[in-house]
Amino acid sequence: MQQTLENFYKAVRAAGVAVAPANSIEASRAVALVGYRERGILKHALSMNLAKSHADQLLVEECFEQFFRFDAFRDGARDSAPQGGDDPAASAEAGDKKTSTAEPRYEGELPLAKMLMAGDRTALAVAMQQAARDAGLTDIWFFTQKSLYTQQILQRMGLRELQDEIRALGEGSCPTRIATAGALRTAKDRLYEEVRDFVERQLGMFGKTAVQSLRERHLQKTRLSNIDLRDFRIMHELVRKMARRLSALYSRKRKRADRGQLDFARTLRRNVAHDGVLFETHWKTRFVDKPRVLVLCDVSGSVQAYARFLLLFLHSLNDVLKRIDSYVFTGSLASVNDIFDSYPVAEAIDKIMAEHGFGGSDYGGMLLDLERDCLRGIDHRTTVLILGDARNNNLDPRSHILQQVHQRAKRVIWLNPEPESFWNTGDSVMRNYRPYCHLTKTCNTLDHLERLLDDLLRAATAA
Amino acid sequence: MKDLYQETLSSVAEVQRHFERHHYICDERIATCVFIAHNLQKPVLVEGPAGVGKTELAKTTAQLLDVPLVRLQCYEGLDEAKALYEWKYAKQLLYTQLLKDKLGELLEGTRGLRESMAKIHAHEDLFYSEDFLEPRPLYRALHEPRGCVLLIDEIDKSDQEFEAFLLEVLSDFQVSIPELGTIVARVKPLVFLTSNNSRELGDALKRRCLHLHIPYPDAALESRILSHRVPELSDRLRTEVVTFVQQLRELDLKKVPSISETIDWARTLLLLHAADLDAGLVKMTLNILLKFETDIEAAGEHVRGFVEKARQRAGA
Repeated sequence: MQQTLENFYKAVRAAGVAVAPANSIEASRAVALVGYRERGILKHALSMNLAKSHADQLLVEECFEQFFRFDAFRDGARDSAPQGGDDPAASAEAGDKKTSTAEPRYEGELPLAKMLMAGDRTALAVAMQQAARDAGLTDIWFFTQKSLYTQQILQRMGLRELQDEIRALGEGSCPTRIATAGALRTAKDRLYEEVRDFVERQLGMFGKTAVQSLRERHLQKTRLSNIDLRDFRIMHELVRKMARRLSALYSRKRKRADRGQLDFARTLRRNVAHDGVLFETHWKTRFVDKPRVLVLCDVSGSVQAYARFLLLFLHSLNDVLKRIDSYVFTGSLASVNDIFDSYPVAEAIDKIMAEHGFGGSDYGGMLLDLERDCLRGIDHRTTVLILGDARNNNLDPRSHILQQVHQRAKRVIWLNPEPESFWNTGDSVMRNYRPYCHLTKTCNTLDHLERLLDDLLRAATAA
Repeated sequence: MKDLYQETLSSVAEVQRHFERHHYICDERIATCVFIAHNLQKPVLVEGPAGVGKTELAKTTAQLLDVPLVRLQCYEGLDEAKALYEWKYAKQLLYTQLLKDKLGELLEGTRGLRESMAKIHAHEDLFYSEDFLEPRPLYRALHEPRGCVLLIDEIDKSDQEFEAFLLEVLSDFQVSIPELGTIVARVKPLVFLTSNNSRELGDALKRRCLHLHIPYPDAALESRILSHRVPELSDRLRTEVVTFVQQLRELDLKKVPSISETIDWARTLLLLHAADLDAGLVKMTLNILLKFETDIEAAGEHVRGFVEKARQRAGA
């Protein structure tokens, strides 16, 4: 049974739940405690030990249902009937068998043939499981390995001997023997199908990560504009993961305050050098330094392809960072905090695109709005993040406002979806803005985004 | 004296029965969790929305095992001094002042610093002994002679530093106090940590715990809970209340009502001598179920329909 549990853990890991060895040991202990008698309790015991969040819990439970289903062979009769009318087909077949003069009866010694002819489904299932274990089926990784494993399992169950037996039976002229050979042949085909289905199911369980992580890797390297809408969901998760990691790093910074409750022990200790006169005071209270982030995102026509993903990123950041102000703009600045807070991601993005999206961008106008509405709030703790292509449609860039922002803010960062060689071509006014940014970077893949934000947040927390 | 682990919980069904006797109605999942936690002496991390009975679970478990409940409420800025122990500095100072003369006496006849020091060292370290220690919840929990149920409430509100500190406590049930050495639990407490998911907890902490997610109850379970908690409620009104609340949970609300609110509402209806739900009454008492003005407004338009359905379900 331990082997079965090990395989189950493997399946759970393949489903994307990180199961540490310690967890699997604990789970095994828990299973030993509750026993196998009650399926529901067993399921709870396993999921409690293996899953570490509600989402994981659902995954583990799904794995459980899949893994511990009874892999018995289907009824032969039902299997041979193509579709519908199981019972008539079965009885017809049974009738055929009875009326035929040469009723196929197997009298040889081959265990597989015996099982097939006796229709012993449980024994077959057990034999298949055993063969699968010997063949190392749980290592299956890609769908291309399907036929390989199917063949290996069949061989281990004794397919070759069975084929020899069928040939031997078919050679004579005795009608009974020929009929037996025929029956065995059908049974063999059915067996083949069973095993193939079984392998397919196992691939679904154990091969999941392979498929998913390949896909994730691919997505990470794809340009944001090329990602299909249907991958949006996966992308969302990726971005969330990233943002959460970043925010953990980000929120850790704390400082000692110089007021509040006196840390008496520490003060005494530190002042031993001053003969016990309390020169240096130490305080208990610390406060978490929470720098503010102000994000401005262009949603105009020129960055239309990227805008959705920039917004997606913004939404995820909004989820994990507490003190973030998100704005979008084409011509004028609009706060989207409320939309992000009150709608799920896809809806929020659609809403923003519908309300503020498209049209030509006017960075000067945006900066004017920024000066009017936000400049007072920008101080040495604020990081200003601008996502846009700086294509200003030949309007006044008003870069002096950005200069002011630059003076007040801790950092100003400009992420441009265009490659650097395109900057300053046509109506791009990157050159006007660039001096007032602490950092300007091209950013059009998730990899870029991740690396950049890592830098950004590290700088924000190090100072 | 019997300690916490001598109380036998021999099966999941028995746990469920015990809980029911203490008016805590739970599904199989929760019972399994407590059963495993008790037998394997593992901490439990309980997650779920506010008001589904996370804290109540710990309290009931303490009652059931007949051990004290030690509660540690977490908040931002909670540190070791508040959670584990603190020296009574004022008392230490006072004593040094009071004992000044005694010290003089003690050191009489000694010559030179070295000799005096040696004489003082010959006595034990009186000022850093348990007499001057202010025990805080974690310390108390380790010291309970029969063990206890330790409830660490809203762990997600605490800081990461504190979480890291908890790791030592939760894995070995011991803590180091520099002046006293390592304190080992007399009897390992049964630990419940609760979290509202306001912050992602560290993997190391999660790994050490059993994970239990308590969702909102389904109608049948909620009805059973109500019948235990508010037994005076008539069957019909109970069905109506449950049906109504279950419908309310389907709406997009800022704060969906949980069991505790259902119970409060049922008590209110009882107080108002309501025999039946009607739209006016519901609207008047909706603020017990919903805690945000916007939610009350959003639910207002559905009240009539919901009440109708609830009455149908109750067979009115």
